[in-house]
Amino acid sequence: MLRKLIHILFLPCSKATLLMEKRNAQLISRKEDRQLSMHLKICKWCRAYEEKLKILDDILKRKRSHKENIEINDSDIQDFKNKILNKLDI
Amino acid sequence: MTKNEVLKSWVEQYSGPLLKRAVYLLSNKEEAEDLVQEVFLAAFSSYGSFEGKSQPLTWLNAILNRKAADFYRKKYKSEPQINLDHFFDETGSWKSDSVLNDWNVLEKETELLDNDDFNKTLEDCIEDLPARWKIPLKMYYLQEKKAPEVSQELQISATNLWKVLQRSRMQLRECLDNNWFAKL
Repeated sequence: MLRKLIHILFLPCSKATLLMEKRNAQLISRKEDRQLSMHLKICKWCRAYEEKLKILDDILKRKRSHKENIEINDSDIQDFKNKILNKLDI
Repeated sequence: MTKNEVLKSWVEQYSGPLLKRAVYLLSNKEEAEDLVQEVFLAAFSSYGSFEGKSQPLTWLNAILNRKAADFYRKKYKSEPQINLDHFFDETGSWKSDSVLNDWNVLEKETELLDNDDFNKTLEDCIEDLPARWKIPLKMYYLQEKKAPEVSQELQISATNLWKVLQRSRMQLRECLDNNWFAKL
């Protein structure tokens, strides 16, 4: 109950998790940063989420090879090249 | 080399990487082919503004980003509406404790990305996001997390871009939790 009250009065988790995105992009204001830090001190759920956000961010950043569910194979690419060269008429 | 010869060599060399990037962004082969076609047509008509200061592929990728943003804007004319009811109750508190699950991966992320099964799970989770969120999320990471540029190109408000990122990441977290970490 107390936890809920604190959350509603200061910053709900739904808002704290939004501020985490801003902090992650280093585009958070000082005030928001303080609000978020205070929230994290009292909220183990958001602390746990923030940890996972960092992991997800890191994984998405490093995921450079985009092996896809939709395959583009060499013959698709060749067909495409022919089509374009035709279209551009060069 | 004449302009035509240069363009021809670009089509030869860069069709592959551009198509892959476009398929990644749009998750659709036909739409991706149309998009790359537009990229080459635009490159052909604005060839004069390519000054050779950057690599051709860098220049073409920048055109592709713009064209993908045009595509997105045409398809989704209004601002995205983001609803967090699945995750938070009416007071804005977490509905489920699953966020507390221990992923136990610190220091081992590189290993995770080397794992083909994990990559497949991650890609499935990303592809399950609605296109309306997925495209901004992917553009955000392709453009090295430059949020103001992404929101300007897609013409969605800065606040809504944060909401899209927040909502997408929440869903990715839950999806990976269910389909990977809970199964370990």
